[in-house]
Amino acid sequence: MDVVDQLHAVKSGKLSRRAFSKSLLGVGVGIVAMPYMSRPAGAAAADQATYFTWGGYDDPALFGEYIKKYGEAPNLATFGGSEEALTKMRSGFMVDVSHPCNADVPRWIASGLFQPLDTDKLSNWGDVIPELYQLDGIMVNGQPYMAPFDWGQTSVTYRTDLFDLEGKEESWGMLWDERYKGRLAVLASAGDAWWCGAIYAGVDFKDISSKVGFEKTAELMRKQRPLIRTYTDDETTLEQALASGEIVAAMTWNSSAVKLKTAGVKVKFANPKEGALTWVCGAMIRKDAPQMDKAYDIVNSMLSVETGKWLIGENGYGHSNVKSFAQFTDKQLDELGLNRNPAEVLSTGKFMSPQSQEFETSMNQEFEKIKAGF
Amino acid sequence: MTDNTATLRSTLPRSTKSGGWLSSLLMRFEALRGYLLLSPTLLIMIIGICVPLFILVGMSLWTQHGFEFDKSLTLANYFNVAEQPIYKALLARSILISGGCALATVILSYPMAYFVAFHVHRHKMVWIILMTLPFWTSYLLRVFSWKIILGYNGVINSGLIGMGLIDQPLEFLLYSPLAVVITLTHAWSAFAILPIYVSLEKIDRSLLEAATDLGDGPVRRFFRITFPMSLPGVIAAALIIFIPTVGDYITPTLLGGPDGIMLANLISAQFGKVNDWPMGAALAIALMVTVALFSVVFVIISRKVTERIT
Repeated sequence: MDVVDQLHAVKSGKLSRRAFSKSLLGVGVGIVAMPYMSRPAGAAAADQATYFTWGGYDDPALFGEYIKKYGEAPNLATFGGSEEALTKMRSGFMVDVSHPCNADVPRWIASGLFQPLDTDKLSNWGDVIPELYQLDGIMVNGQPYMAPFDWGQTSVTYRTDLFDLEGKEESWGMLWDERYKGRLAVLASAGDAWWCGAIYAGVDFKDISSKVGFEKTAELMRKQRPLIRTYTDDETTLEQALASGEIVAAMTWNSSAVKLKTAGVKVKFANPKEGALTWVCGAMIRKDAPQMDKAYDIVNSMLSVETGKWLIGENGYGHSNVKSFAQFTDKQLDELGLNRNPAEVLSTGKFMSPQSQEFETSMNQEFEKIKAGF
Repeated sequence: MTDNTATLRSTLPRSTKSGGWLSSLLMRFEALRGYLLLSPTLLIMIIGICVPLFILVGMSLWTQHGFEFDKSLTLANYFNVAEQPIYKALLARSILISGGCALATVILSYPMAYFVAFHVHRHKMVWIILMTLPFWTSYLLRVFSWKIILGYNGVINSGLIGMGLIDQPLEFLLYSPLAVVITLTHAWSAFAILPIYVSLEKIDRSLLEAATDLGDGPVRRFFRITFPMSLPGVIAAALIIFIPTVGDYITPTLLGGPDGIMLANLISAQFGKVNDWPMGAALAIALMVTVALFSVVFVIISRKVTERIT
């Protein structure tokens, strides 16, 4: 049967069901076979290492050196929360490098999937700010498991033209403000939201896993639930909703505020009086990484000044390479809420601390319940 | 059938000589021939459905401790499902949303199928292809386009504001169970149009003529002849929509908001960030059993109704 016949049959209304199914089958087989036909061109991507990271970090700008060396960016896969990422990898998703945050590292090490880093293989390691890898839980027997990459804060981004502070100080209470019921949003991953709730509840991070601390936080999150328009892990959703005025304040990371400001939206990344949540995230390499050398190249290019410039300038996150900050003036850094001496910001930050797997599970379980309205 | 077997039996001796042990075996046992013919499908069924289901049931009887499974068998997870109000409430919401979606889909698809079956005489195939056209794009893409249509400054809201009908965007359009129902209804409509179309197409037109001859007006004729005879298609459509949409979690995630999430979202969380697979397995089975029960009840009721009106 040829195409012209087929078209003619359609035109004259005589295309039988059998003929139609047949051509559908043809199209189906064609589509399935397509990837094999273009094999020589497509094969390159399979040769690259895979980087499993937070949504928003899946940007070729992170991998300048890597691309120069191999002509292509690594394969990228994203997750919405580090607990989700760990579960996926434990159930068999093979990647070379992933991107946890400081509090996750001990649990990730305990999973037995990761190896300590051989820092000799990282030419940029010498410029990494030592305070970042000296955080709790990252070093085991003097060997770092995570190469610090980015650090920043989780805080409230709010519309300065729509959210009326009434002369009061910026506070986490902005996300509990009854006046803006249905116009507030919160990150869906408990890894951020729960800890921010704990800060507002006045729970010391040392006590976050205690019964009292847990219940105090849960109660506050429950109180917040009716005020929330949406819980999401998707930064773009939050940014668009802030830009349209659908929501007036949201829990975000630094980059949302920076991107919105660049787009000309009147927003501010709050500096809550209770303190913002500070985190340091970085790269861990899997023990059984299929592309070990390329895995190190991924990490190394993430630590490069070129990547740092992008991370600081475009996203407002701190970078782990001390030389990256030299690319910016004091004024620029000040506008981004960063400091040339990162240790200063880090020493005042409220850091997530490593917790047990049991706590992570019960926290996530509870937060899922709260989000569903119970 | 019996004739066939008889001929096969009569040819048996000859084929044994020429064919070898396999064909003689096949000739002797009819059931074996049947299973062999079924085998590709059967194999896929066993590997793809029976084994995973068995694993799911097994896992639902375990408990999770940190990273490890406690493999002693217990019904604790099921008690948990029965006791905690959240699971029952989300189950009820899932059923309501999918039920509403099945109803809306059937009501919206019926006129389309009816039109093509009765009023289109040429190029029927083209009409059918056109109606399934939305299905040629990715499901995710369709969900996202609904997000744009229903959004705060989306197509509907800006249209209504432009016409001066409202001054504030309607917020209930997005991030609500309604948004989930609308999106699923559109996303699954082709699955309803096709079965309904087939059952309408099959109706013997002379019955309709007879009804008219005997004095039925168009409305009476529709409710006495056309509708009852199309019921098998309607029932099939309703089930085809209801069963898969109960387990949907993409649409509620993107459009449901806090009040629009369904049980499937919770199940996916158990396998992801909550990291309690046995609980997720128990929930999945609870959902499966509930859906099966609802479907059986629906089929029985609709069969009774069909008997009544035909």
